[in-house]
Amino acid sequence: MTRGRVLPALVALGGGVALFLGVAACGGGEDEITLGLITKEEENPFFVTMREVAEDVAGDNDVKLLTAAGKSDVDNASQVAALADMTREGAKGIMIVPARSRAIVPAIERTRAAGVIVVALDTPTQPESAVEALYATNNRRAGNLIGGYAKAKAEEEAIEPRIAMLDLAPGISVGELRHDGFLTGFGIQDGDPEIVGQAYAEGDEDKARAAMARLLDEDPGINIVYTINEPTAFGAIDALEDAGRDEDEVIIVSIDGSCDAIKDGVRPGKIDATSQQYPENMAREGLEAVAGAVRGGPSPSGFLDTGVELITSDPVEGVESEDAAFGVRNCWGD
Amino acid sequence: MEAAASAVPEPRRTKARLVYPGLVIPFVLLIACFAAWGTAANLTDVVVGVFRSIFDMSNTQSALVQVAYYGAYFTLAIPAAMINRRFGYKVGVLSGLGLAALGGLLFVPAGEVLEYGAFLAALFVLAAGMSILETSANPFVIAMGPEESATQRLNLAQAFNPVGANIGVLLGAVLILPELTSEASKTIMSPAELQQSQEDDLALVLGPYLGIAAVLILIWLLIAFRKISTPRERSQESEGEARSGALRRLWRNRHYRYGVAAQFFNVGAQVCAWTFTILYARDIVGVPAEDSGWYLQASLILFLVARFVMTWLLGIFRPTGLLFLMASLGVGFCLVAMFSLNMVGLIAVVCISLSLSLMFPTIYGVALRGLGEDTKFGAAGLVMAILGGALMPLVQGKVMDEVGAALAFVVPGIGLAFVACYALFDLRTRRGGGGELAAEGAH
Repeated sequence: MTRGRVLPALVALGGGVALFLGVAACGGGEDEITLGLITKEEENPFFVTMREVAEDVAGDNDVKLLTAAGKSDVDNASQVAALADMTREGAKGIMIVPARSRAIVPAIERTRAAGVIVVALDTPTQPESAVEALYATNNRRAGNLIGGYAKAKAEEEAIEPRIAMLDLAPGISVGELRHDGFLTGFGIQDGDPEIVGQAYAEGDEDKARAAMARLLDEDPGINIVYTINEPTAFGAIDALEDAGRDEDEVIIVSIDGSCDAIKDGVRPGKIDATSQQYPENMAREGLEAVAGAVRGGPSPSGFLDTGVELITSDPVEGVESEDAAFGVRNCWGD
Repeated sequence: MEAAASAVPEPRRTKARLVYPGLVIPFVLLIACFAAWGTAANLTDVVVGVFRSIFDMSNTQSALVQVAYYGAYFTLAIPAAMINRRFGYKVGVLSGLGLAALGGLLFVPAGEVLEYGAFLAALFVLAAGMSILETSANPFVIAMGPEESATQRLNLAQAFNPVGANIGVLLGAVLILPELTSEASKTIMSPAELQQSQEDDLALVLGPYLGIAAVLILIWLLIAFRKISTPRERSQESEGEARSGALRRLWRNRHYRYGVAAQFFNVGAQVCAWTFTILYARDIVGVPAEDSGWYLQASLILFLVARFVMTWLLGIFRPTGLLFLMASLGVGFCLVAMFSLNMVGLIAVVCISLSLSLMFPTIYGVALRGLGEDTKFGAAGLVMAILGGALMPLVQGKVMDEVGAALAFVVPGIGLAFVACYALFDLRTRRGGGGELAAEGAH
């Protein structure tokens, strides 16, 4: 006996293994429904993550997902058109990240009047009641987390706080909520002497660099920098370097949790801490809720907090946080 | 894990029967055993990261999976040999299969109590069975045919070990990792939802292990109810009692002594590299969980392909010269992994398997060369160096908790550096007669 008989036996054995491996996957069958997702724009990694997760979740839930995006962060017209197109194509529910919170409302009202469920993701409409529900980061809490961290860190390093605040822009709720949350977390209020400078950087790195340079001219002793988002933080870091300041002497905190910022900012310690938000949760929770409602389940309503975690490579005793590895595992973008 | 015989240079011989008549089916069943322990061993490489996620624990704690697995291998090596000597290989194989299947089934109660310790206990029992199985199956395969084709037969059986290893990782990559609850989603779960997600994730781990248990039980039945009698089941252990003074002679033999240490560090580096590949991909590069298993799969495929290439190269170059080169290359890969915190670093982690591919059999052969009658006793020491696979991942996990996943690759780096030093030692010394050694210029 022999090699000639060993081979077929091995083939049979391989078949058995293949059978064992094939035991996986059988899916259940619900009637397919059509839903839509409209983001602000196509390329932003935050929205790319949101779309990819929504597509995965749709696949798991027998949902045909239509997607569309504006041409820029303020492109209302494209979103209005997308709402109409999706309604025409039979979408029973639509998730939208409003580019312009107030201007989009009439189009949303027309869509809802056609019997389509509409929820907002990430950014609220004005008024918030224009949609069934909002799935978004609790921006006040995001600010609160980094405010608490900055205070504890300042105490640990025994420094007298001289705070610079790089905000978004006047009258934008996201920016105001984060700003107020930071102050609450730090235990101060607008106008307190700890705040030695404030500027609007519009979330832009170059503008943040210029704004921070001005604030440093006014007060070279700034030792804590609050930034509305991570591009703003990188702009502030550049300005500090330009001014010859040692990064280790300045506590820089931010909000967002993008992969670039976690890997190049938080992990090496340039950004001391950031509040990481989760677009994947917005997409998943929003889609599952809307699909459930379309299939006769409870209708989504109110505000659902999609989570936020404090990420730092330099934890402070008494402040709950996750390390940079957690941040990398759960960041958005590349 | 692997047996060393696969790399022993094969002398030219005339064609001989591969397996004795009537032993084809038993031989095939034993081949399935070789694949089974490869599957179980490498599934644990995936499970380390899975448990870290499910139980929200440190890297050190999660590395206890490897302590349980390889610790069991180490602990059971000698009892397994005693079973074989007293009751024969068939009983040894059945004992191993039965114990390993029991270990797989113990995942069910472990899943009920949701305790990490219960899973470790189940893994220990599973690995204990695999240890007995491996210790019995190797000589059993040798006894299944003529001595002339023994190496060929063992090589054929051993070839299915990496096949099983790849299946193990594939099970993790396909059935477990893509289905795990994401950490981000856990941030907004209620305590009840968190517990449910934990149960769901543990059920994912349960599936492959129950599958392994089912296959093992099937093989057990097929072997138990089949009459298997080899013409003369010659127990290697019984051929020569460990001679008095063997231990002392072996200890005095620097090539052997350092060889055991090198094997300890080699196995440790191998288990470290494979255990932490997925964690590196996740923690450093941010590879999504569902894709991370494929990097470990790539490591094993590279290991397998490189093994064949190295076998060819070993026929051209001096083994320890090649060993030195590959170990040094491995140190280089570890350094890249430590300081290049991106996809380049991850590729370097995968490439460590290239350098590992020739080490176990080469060290085995070099350390045992010229031992004469002490060879069999010495071989046991080399196999027990597998303890490195239990201890070094624990050290790497601890370092990882302190300084991060990238810098923790200093641990396998040190292991590979030791292997390089061993190769250099062999290159720069000559052996005296009777296994004694003399350093060049020392006398």
